[in-house]
Amino acid sequence: MKVTVCIGSSCHIKGSRQVVERLQKLIAEKGLGDSVELGGTFCMGKCQQGVSCTVDGEFYSVSPETVDTFFEEKIVTPLTK
Amino acid sequence: MNDLCVEVGYKSVNHVGEQLCGDHVDVIEKEEGDTVIVLADGLGSGVKASILSTLTSKIISTMMAEGIALENCVETIAATLPVDKMRGVAYSTFTIIHITGSETAEIIQYDNPGVIFIRDGKISDYPKQEMNLGGKKIFRSTVGLRENDCFVAMSDGCPHAGIGTGYNFGWKESDIAGFMENLWGVGYTAKTLATMLVDECYKLYGGKPGDDATCVTVQIRKRNPMNMLFGPPSNPDDLNRMMSLFFSKAGKHIISGGTTSTLAAKWLRKPLHPSLDFESKDIPPIAHIEGVDLVTEGVITVNKVVEYAKDYVNDNESYEQWGYKRDGAALICRMLFEEATDINFFVGKAINPAHQNPDLPINFSIKMNLVKELSESLKSMGKRVKVCYF
Repeated sequence: MKVTVCIGSSCHIKGSRQVVERLQKLIAEKGLGDSVELGGTFCMGKCQQGVSCTVDGEFYSVSPETVDTFFEEKIVTPLTK
Repeated sequence: MNDLCVEVGYKSVNHVGEQLCGDHVDVIEKEEGDTVIVLADGLGSGVKASILSTLTSKIISTMMAEGIALENCVETIAATLPVDKMRGVAYSTFTIIHITGSETAEIIQYDNPGVIFIRDGKISDYPKQEMNLGGKKIFRSTVGLRENDCFVAMSDGCPHAGIGTGYNFGWKESDIAGFMENLWGVGYTAKTLATMLVDECYKLYGGKPGDDATCVTVQIRKRNPMNMLFGPPSNPDDLNRMMSLFFSKAGKHIISGGTTSTLAAKWLRKPLHPSLDFESKDIPPIAHIEGVDLVTEGVITVNKVVEYAKDYVNDNESYEQWGYKRDGAALICRMLFEEATDINFFVGKAINPAHQNPDLPINFSIKMNLVKELSESLKSMGKRVKVCYF
């Protein structure tokens, strides 16, 4: 599974660093390092909806507050299905 | 003419409790490679010393730059300087480094600590000719220049540092020379070298300098071009032109901006690899494209660079930050401040529709302002800056 987080200017201001760091921590805790590839990307052109993230190409709007739910619903659940 | 250029940097600390510095440095660049640098140290400290040294350095640098003989310069100073009531003398010591065509340096010294000359990373001696001008004993030297030559001039506040506290007789001039010799090889800028020496003096004085201390560093460097791309062109049809002009330039290439680097990667037909390492909390990570020396995020990073640049031309307090950090802004700073002598900016004036949102602290005018401020700061560092808009 490929998860990308936008690290462009706008998403950076909206907290992409916190999102990335939280995801890195959650992935390590759950031992998902082998099945999830976390990557960065520059502007996806959806700055209004930032922090912009994609899971296997599917777009999601995430914020530092919703990152835990995002992780559970969009990353853990599909992987354990 | 050759492909060498002159890099000058200086810093002073004031006598404790004084708002004005009694040392004064003037740098006049007449034309490319022809530079007159004057360091004058006025008698005493405070306002009086400041007036004496300012007059001295201004008169000498202006007259020398106009090609007037040293004898006449000294005469003019002696006739102009106000006489000190208490001591009955008009007095300001001076050091002149006059560089012609980036080929020769004429060094004229009157009563300041001797100019340190570093060649091939080693302290080197140079011949001095003694002359007597209006009762003043003045030393004159001529040195043929080579790449990486470095001159360090200072006021007597430097060797006086630490008298009675750290050292019995102050910081010996030969020890200062050794200190500078060790720092020289690291690749610091002239300004940073001067800052480090003066900061060290400040420490030796225990934070309370008993005299104004100034250091001027002059480095002879090979010209080194640097190119920076910032923002996509306002007309998408110009992309090809902008990219080919940018990549055809000699020197290293820096690309700032997410969209800009995406476009550049496409143009080069190379993948863009953003990194996820947050080296500094407030600066977004950098990225990599084969064939580009540095790829960073845009406005936030460049804003930080501008902040560092402004500090550099003033007090240079943050060189310890940008000098070693590994975030995008620090990397740009090291490339622009330390490596580059000639900088070409390729600025795209496209408006990012996603940024035109009142909630975001980024907008188009801020971006254009950043370029203006950065190029002004770089110019005052003595670099040649060209800006092209697309």
